[in-house]
Formats: sequence, C-alpha cells, structure tokens
Amino acid sequence: MNKKLHADHIYIEALLKNDSRVLSKLYEKFSHKIVAYVRKNNGNADDAQDIIQETLVTIYHQAKEKNFILTCPFDAYFYLLCKRRWLNELKKRGTNRVTIIEDEASIKDEHKQEVEETELFEQQSLLFESKFKELGVKCQELLKATFKIKSMEEVAEFLGVTYGYARKKKSQCMGKLTQLVKNSNEFQSLKDF
Amino acid sequence: MEELKYIEFENYLKNELTEIEKKAFENKLQSDADFKQEFEIYKALETSLSSKFKNEEGEKELRKTLTNLGNQYINEEKGTKKKSKVISLFNYKKLMVAASIALLIGFFIFKNGNPVYSDFANHSNLELVVRGDSNEILLKAQEAFNAKNYKTAFAQLTILETDSPNDIEIQLYKGICLLEMDKFSQAETIFDKISKGNSAFSNKSTWYKALSYLKQEQFEACKNTLKTIPESAEEYKLAKKLLQKL
Repeated sequence: MNKKLHADHIYIEALLKNDSRVLSKLYEKFSHKIVAYVRKNNGNADDAQDIIQETLVTIYHQAKEKNFILTCPFDAYFYLLCKRRWLNELKKRGTNRVTIIEDEASIKDEHKQEVEETELFEQQSLLFESKFKELGVKCQELLKATFKIKSMEEVAEFLGVTYGYARKKKSQCMGKLTQLVKNSNEFQSLKDF
Repeated sequence: MEELKYIEFENYLKNELTEIEKKAFENKLQSDADFKQEFEIYKALETSLSSKFKNEEGEKELRKTLTNLGNQYINEEKGTKKKSKVISLFNYKKLMVAASIALLIGFFIFKNGNPVYSDFANHSNLELVVRGDSNEILLKAQEAFNAKNYKTAFAQLTILETDSPNDIEIQLYKGICLLEMDKFSQAETIFDKISKGNSAFSNKSTWYKALSYLKQEQFEACKNTLKTIPESAEEYKLAKKLLQKL
C-alpha cells in the first residue's frame, strides 16, 4: 500500500501541533458549509460547533495513534464525517423526521473509505474507553499509571507496590478488559479484528 | 490458566520472551484462532489506551484552541444574524462592549456562588469482587455502596475489615460512607490516617478530606487541604477545579 499524502494533510499536521494559525484557516474555509448543513437539518450553530470540534478531536487521536495519512481532499472527508456525526446525534436525540439533504455523490468511493476508517477508529476507542470504565477502581488506577509512566518500576513506586505485583496485576487487569471487550455486543459489530 | 495467558501476552509485547518461547507463542497465534483474537484485542487495547492517556493533555490544549476558533468563526455568524434583525441601528462596537460587560458581571456572580459538595462527590464504583475469591459480604458491600445505600455498605465493610484489617481500600470506602451519612469527625479520622500513609489511596483520601470540609461549608479548611494534593496525583485536576471555584 503506497499511500500518497494529499496537500491538505497540513490540516492533520496542524491538529497534531495545535497550530492555531492553520486551524483558523480550517474553520474559515470549512465550517460554514457544515453550519449550514446542521441548520438545515434541525440543528443550530452551537450544535455545529460541537460536531466540528468532536470530529477534529477524533482525527487528532487517530493521527496520534495510527499515524493517519490524508490521501483525499480535506473538504470532502471532513464534511462527510461531520454530516454523519450530526445524523447520528439526531438519531440519539430521537429526532426521526429529518429531511436529509443528500449529496454524498460529491465524494468518491475511495475517499469514503477514509471516512469509514476514521469512524471505525472512533467506535473502537469509545468501546475501549467505556469498557475501561467498567473495571474496578484499582485496575483503572494501575492501568492509567502504566500507560502514563514509561517504566514499570516507576509505576510500582508510584502506586506503592512491588514491581512483581504491579506487573502481574497489569496483565490481570488487561486480561479482564480483554474479556469485557470480547464479550460486548459492540465488539461483534466492529469487524476490524 | 487464563492469567498465565495474559502474562504471556504482556511478555510477548514487551519482547521479553526467549527465542524458543517466542516461536511457540507465534505458532500458537497461527493455530489457535481464539488465542489470536484475544491477543489482537489485548494489543489494540494497549495501543489505544496508552495513546489516549498520553495525549490527554494535548487533547485539552487542542480543545482550547478549537473552542476559541469555533466561537470566533461560528458563533460570530450566529450572533450577527440575530443582531442585524433586532438592533441594526446600534453601533456594533457598543454592542460588543455591552456584551463583554454582561459577560463579566455574569462571571462575577458565578464566582460568588460557592461550590457544593454534590457537584464534586462522584464516587467511583466499589469493585472488590475482582480480587478472586468473592464471598457474600464482598458482594453485598459492593452492591450497597454502588446503589448509594451507604448505611448497609458501611456495615458490610466493617465486617470485611475484621478479616483484612490492612486493606486500605476498604477503609477508604468506609470513610466515604461515613461522609455520606454526615458523620464528619469519624470520616475525617479515617481520611487523615490514609492520607498520611503512602498507599495508592493517600491522595484520594486527601481529596475526600477536602470534600468533607466542603460538605460542612468550611471553605478555608477545604482550600488548605486541596493545596496539599500534589500535581502528580490523579485528583489534582479535580482539586484545581474546586480551588478555582472557592
């Protein structure tokens, strides 16, 4: 797979670097269209602002974790993501009588794939996070520490336990989390494994 | 058996297996689909959560930028539309000044309201049963606590304490129950003892000591206690948030 970087990848870079100059261009160029769409479909400007922000934060995490590379125009990719997120939000709010103005023809299939990757990434992260919260306090604390602190020795010291105990406990907690994920309904619908 | 499997996952990911063990592990991945699936989940969890937690700060910073930009580019659109309809004669600058004064007043009013205990008392669930041998009392204590049935939970935890007098988590949760029942001095005795120790719960316990003061509306004492929570503590963020409101 030889992925070619699109020139719009600068927006992804800007998210990673929290570059407000480039990000302000992003808002200037792309936000109006999304605001207009949300407004046409039972929403207001505040809703649009949230949708845009959450979408950008998701892309940020995807880029951090997966070295996400943008191979299509940002405009189409971003617009479709925001649109779908808004439709989901409407579903959650129970607003069924939406007149959805469809114009997905403007995005090519290969670009759609990129959108779906981001959505899948988000669903997976959300699932992991929600299952993480189902763990006991002790497991959560220990795992958080192991992910934030690099060496297991320091983790053990931080938690006031022995190194051996910390290690054993970590894989135990991770094992429990693995089981929770594996047995969840949401996991069955995530096909990426 | 299960436990060993996860230890093996961990060692493989950390590259701490010998060549022979590694070979055997990889063979098992190929032949055992269930083993492979669990390993893939384990690995994905590790990458996802560690990335999420490492970038927590970055996300916060980014959110600040995005909120500003959103207010600038999106809310402006929203604002001008309303204004142009209603008071188009007004000079825009005047309006902005008025708006910012209104905002400032709002801010001060908000600041003067004291924070309330219930806004900050979000206890994480008690989950003792994780620790292997689950017994009736463990389960009862856990269920009662998580159902906010603090009196029952306290009684069950007291029984548990006689079996494991050195379990700090049990003590901490006893303290929380007492706090919820407004038995402040008893609760604070427990919190003090734990926060002076060096267990994993000492900061959490300090946080609860502060909450106890908050519930009694002793704001100065609450502040002073909050200030002793170190920056490295998990409760630091919450402590800072509460401090700002005090």
